[in-house]
Amino acid sequence: MKLFVVKTLIINVFVLFVSHLHSQSAKITFAPQWMPQAQFAGYYVAQQMGFYKEAGLEVEIIHPSANIPATDLLSSGKVDVISLFLITGMSAKNNGMDLVNIAQLSQHSAIYIVTKKSSGIDRLEKLKGKKIGVWKSGFDEVPKAMMKEKNYDVEWIPILFSVNLFMLDGIDAMTVMSYNEYDNIINCGVNEDELNVFPISDYGYDVPEDGLYCLNATYNAKKEELKRFVEATFRVWEYASANKTEAIDIVLDKMKAAHIPANRVHQDWMLDRVLEMMKGSNKSKDNGRVKKGELLETDFNHASKIFGNSSGNDLKYTFEEFYRSPNQ
Amino acid sequence: MKRTSLSYHIIKNVLLFCIALFLVIFSVYYYFARKTIREDTRENSVYLAKTTINKIEQVLTLAEKNPQIIAKMLEASFVSKDSLVPFLKSMLSVNDNLYGSIIAFEPYYYPEQGMYYAPYVYRQDDSICTSILGDRNYEYFYMDWYQIPKITNKPYWSEPYFDEGGGNVLMTTYSVPFYKDVNGAKTFSGVVTIDITLKWLTEIITEVKILESGYAFLLSRNGVVISHPNSEYIMNQTIFTIAKENNQPGMRETGRRMIRGESSFQAAEFRSAWKPGKLWINYAPLPSSKWSMGIIYPEKEMFASLHRMNFILLVLIIIGLVSLSVVIFKIVSKLTSPLKDFADSARLIASGNFNVRLPEIKTEDEMKELYNSFSFMQKELDEYMATLKETTSAKEKIESELRIANEIQMSMIPHIFPPFPDLSQIDLFATLKSAKEVGGDLYDFFVIEGNKFCFAIGDVSGKGVPASLFMAVTRTLVRSISDNVHSPSAIVESLNRSISQNNDSNMFVTLFLGVLDLKTGELLYTNAGHNPPVLIRKNGETFMFEKTKFIPAGLFEDFKYGESSLKLESGDMLFLYTDGVSEAENVQGDLFGEHSVMQIINNNINARPQELINIMGNEISAHVNGYTQSDDITMMTIVYNG
Repeated sequence: MKLFVVKTLIINVFVLFVSHLHSQSAKITFAPQWMPQAQFAGYYVAQQMGFYKEAGLEVEIIHPSANIPATDLLSSGKVDVISLFLITGMSAKNNGMDLVNIAQLSQHSAIYIVTKKSSGIDRLEKLKGKKIGVWKSGFDEVPKAMMKEKNYDVEWIPILFSVNLFMLDGIDAMTVMSYNEYDNIINCGVNEDELNVFPISDYGYDVPEDGLYCLNATYNAKKEELKRFVEATFRVWEYASANKTEAIDIVLDKMKAAHIPANRVHQDWMLDRVLEMMKGSNKSKDNGRVKKGELLETDFNHASKIFGNSSGNDLKYTFEEFYRSPNQ
Repeated sequence: MKRTSLSYHIIKNVLLFCIALFLVIFSVYYYFARKTIREDTRENSVYLAKTTINKIEQVLTLAEKNPQIIAKMLEASFVSKDSLVPFLKSMLSVNDNLYGSIIAFEPYYYPEQGMYYAPYVYRQDDSICTSILGDRNYEYFYMDWYQIPKITNKPYWSEPYFDEGGGNVLMTTYSVPFYKDVNGAKTFSGVVTIDITLKWLTEIITEVKILESGYAFLLSRNGVVISHPNSEYIMNQTIFTIAKENNQPGMRETGRRMIRGESSFQAAEFRSAWKPGKLWINYAPLPSSKWSMGIIYPEKEMFASLHRMNFILLVLIIIGLVSLSVVIFKIVSKLTSPLKDFADSARLIASGNFNVRLPEIKTEDEMKELYNSFSFMQKELDEYMATLKETTSAKEKIESELRIANEIQMSMIPHIFPPFPDLSQIDLFATLKSAKEVGGDLYDFFVIEGNKFCFAIGDVSGKGVPASLFMAVTRTLVRSISDNVHSPSAIVESLNRSISQNNDSNMFVTLFLGVLDLKTGELLYTNAGHNPPVLIRKNGETFMFEKTKFIPAGLFEDFKYGESSLKLESGDMLFLYTDGVSEAENVQGDLFGEHSVMQIINNNINARPQELINIMGNEISAHVNGYTQSDDITMMTIVYNG
């Protein structure tokens, strides 16, 4: 506790010093792709603990709503930076939004397809002809592409966000995020050994997810600020990884303020999984290991292939046009 | 050893017994009391749960009726599209529990309405408002309240939720699907919902109080906490996240059973961070919404009355045991206090003070008996001591007289050796060892007519004073008779005659009497029933005289005794003895025997008279080995040196 106070004090003094230097600190507005939860712990911690101020930035976090997705916030100019799934970002750009990926945080796919063991579906192919719940609001591209490529004819049931339909056996299977819905099911009293889990990464669909995006115009205008934003974001994720309890405290406060049901157990789980997704250590590229926040061209190509197969459209841009790391 | 009192022993034993008895009684009592309390609490809590659930069910089942009726009416096409909203409004206006109601249709149910049509009637402040839901931004088809009854074809009570628009109250929605007949097939057409606030429900649950701090909580079908005294839990936690956070697998299992719709009353298999200590739980499902109510109460409180009772009981028992000890101590001390006095008296009596005053006993019990015994003992001891004094003085007198008699008796037989220093033909030694103060053996020797040596050894029947007197008479008679008569047979006959007369006591005497001619060495002898002596020839030959045919003197007045003769050579030796030698007895009753006598003589063939008698005496002592001497022992050895 004492250490915490001292740390805060030092940071504050430093922040004052830095903000003095940047007497007019640059303003960045940021929107995660969903409501407050541990998936975005880093941004809340950075804001709360002054990581962004330290970088000479004044960051405002705006949340999307069920009706107004993050992409709308970006295109309408309400925010500078948003967090998006790689496939979602690619799809938006193909649909004419002039956005660029400025950092790829998640390096892996967190999507599982789960069934109850009682359903008898213990192999992926047994899903043929079954009802699978899938998010209505996106994140559905990769699992849908997978089923299409495998030629498994399944009935997709769009659902908003609850696991209730799955709990009531209204559907045979459900796509879940390992860090979110999967744990929700467990927290509704279903034991892990009562579930069959099919991580789509095990079937060749390990497509990276969360990344940071901004409009190309914003990228050109605020390159320096965005660079600081990305750097501070990486720093804070490392800090959150080392101070999980503190990070979860901040997330829980945010959730309560937004009147979202919140409990530590689930947020702990989520933070652990999200941090795992960020590890690129088991990935490699030609000249060594993947750098923090780097989007690999192989992953881009993989995602582009899946996008093409699922939407029937070709990409209208190149990797270089899509990925513009301000650190480069 | 540590000195302890009688009361200590009694108290110790009684207390130990009482404590053991108490433990047994207490264990049995505790077991049954606990069982009864558990049973009572179970009944109470089951009743409480039942009534509470009934209260909730009343509201829920009543609420279910409205949408069910509307669904039926829609299916039967009772209501027109235009009357839907007024109908819902009137329903809300008469039903205070209802917060809102929607009738949501499938796309193009009313073709003119297009994709979305969902009239919504709801309360706002005190008025009832209307809006038509459904557009691109509100696609109700994917909402749980619409989608779940549609897919499952069953009415559905939604998971409770906070309605942000309606003042942030906890709400739940009940949805009933309705259908229409399209070409003979039942086709899903939409749902009717009602929204009810759960404020009343929370109040009912909060009102449940059991024991001191027992409380009720409510879980949704997914295990979400709907009602709990800890408001932090409500809607934020499921019983499973609480279980995980507090690392209580038992809580997770209980939660699983609860949401499966089971009911039970049991000791909780978990601990709670909210309520410390061992807990009991009773849970039961709400049949309509499939929610589950749990009632929790601490075991400590459940058995609090029992523990209070135990404490009181324990205090009472301790007080009881202490009082019992005090009472026992008092009673025992009172009862046994004379014992100490008796002990003092006994000590004084032992020291000779027979007339010491005994403690006063007023009771008529064992102590009185002890008193009587003591006093009897005192009297008896006193008398005994008086008698003893008399007897002792009498005995002392007799003993002193006997001592004198012994001296006199001993002085009657010759006891100076060698007896005849100037009579070189004779070497002699003799001893007499009486078994009692005075004895009945005798020996004697003397010279008659200048050249004849008369000797005798005898044994009077019986022992003690009578025998000694008879012996004295015999000895005197032998001496006096031998003054006139010199033949052994004549002497013995004369003696026999004299002692037989007036012999009322029928006493007799065995006697060996010999007369040795000192010149010739011829020995004349008469043996009146005495042990045959042993002759030891100078050349080492030994033999025992033949057994006598003659009876002891004193039995028949006219008995004729004969005599025998034997020629002694110079150096021959005679060994004479009484039956005290041959019949000396050891503790096992073995006799010394004539055989031993002969053997000792043969082993000491060259021994001098005194020497032989000493050896014989020692051997007898060795044989007897301290056993009481029963008969007089008399030995006499005569060596003829003619």
